[in-house]
Amino acid sequence: MLDAHAITIGPEGMLAVNACMLFSIVWALWRTERNLQSGSDWTILAMLVLFAVSGRVLLDPIPNVQPVTVVVLMVGIYYGVPRAVLVAISVTLLSNFILGHGLWSLYQALGWSIIGVIGSISANSIRVGSQLNLNRLAAVSATSAFIFGFIASFSALHSIGTENFLPYLVAGIPFDLLHAVGNLAFVAWMAAPVSEIITRHHSSPNHVTVREFASD
Amino acid sequence: MSEAIGIFALFLIMTLIPLAASEQHINLKALSVFWTVFTVLSFEAIVVEWARMTADLVDEEEDPHFGLPDIWDGKQTVCVHFPQDLAPEGFDKGRKHIDNDGTEFMSDKDWNETGACIGGFSNFNNGWDLFNAAVNATGGAFPINSTDSSWGVFVDSIAGVDPSTMSGNFEGAYWAVYHNGALSPVGIKDLTLDDDSVITWRVDTW
Repeated sequence: MLDAHAITIGPEGMLAVNACMLFSIVWALWRTERNLQSGSDWTILAMLVLFAVSGRVLLDPIPNVQPVTVVVLMVGIYYGVPRAVLVAISVTLLSNFILGHGLWSLYQALGWSIIGVIGSISANSIRVGSQLNLNRLAAVSATSAFIFGFIASFSALHSIGTENFLPYLVAGIPFDLLHAVGNLAFVAWMAAPVSEIITRHHSSPNHVTVREFASD
Repeated sequence: MSEAIGIFALFLIMTLIPLAASEQHINLKALSVFWTVFTVLSFEAIVVEWARMTADLVDEEEDPHFGLPDIWDGKQTVCVHFPQDLAPEGFDKGRKHIDNDGTEFMSDKDWNETGACIGGFSNFNNGWDLFNAAVNATGGAFPINSTDSSWGVFVDSIAGVDPSTMSGNFEGAYWAVYHNGALSPVGIKDLTLDDDSVITWRVDTW
């Protein structure tokens, strides 16, 4: 019997396959966005969730390099805390269905939710009018990597003693560093186009829909 | 430590090149790509060096790894302890710790014996194979002379220290092998190892 799945291409080959798929997803999302009508906040949020989940899953071979942190940060900046928390938890849950779901999911969701809060708090200093201050966003995203790593590490307390928590944190610093470096790359390449897309479709809070025109 | 310095120097050079670009946004894009690629490619080395720099010594006396770096937990180790007045130069103050790639990364000057431990090995089933791997990892710092007999391998000297030439209030001296802190009941070639075995050579007298 023929087995169409009896192929092994090694980790580098899989990374190349994943990168192609991720690039295709990004291209398809970008083309889809072109045809969206303005005011489609939830559509944009759904697309950001899809991109974040795809990016996290497909970039899994590279430890800690994933777009989730920057996506959640930007959702916090543009949409505020509730939507940032929603995106954080959704991305964690959906991606962990593939990567592995357990007690750690709670801490990851909490970590990214706090990143969303940080984004919302720092929105006024990062978003100057309709422009993004990329340097500040880069600095916040790099710092967010270490904050996320610290929060997510609390899940280890369920299996290691508190006396081992500090060595565990210290041992994880290279991984947080890689997370921070990856965030810088996502900010450099993705923040400006995502900012444009969000701005183009963001429904104004002062916009009021009237059902009937007033009669003369 | 020298590998960490090399990694950092290369990182600095790769950072300065794109800084020569005039456009700021090109700087951030170019820099981020350089940093990400560099960090990913050197990540394994960074993790190993960082683990060495932040390693601590096991402080539980009942643990066979007592006094050894905690990064060797679950790994196999060979220690050689020399008599105080016969220790080779460089191994006469406390105990050095050498990783399985030959990198000396820690020393315990307060240890009550002199010599070195070479560790971080795995998947060795036989004591003699592990011992040879440890000797090779030191790059020739611990040459061994041995004699095959009907009772197995007899280690005559380690790093030039031959107990048969020692004199004192004893009849004879020899290199004894200990496994996880206890005198091994079998010779080094017949010694079956665990995943975290610690083999220790020290001079015993009779």
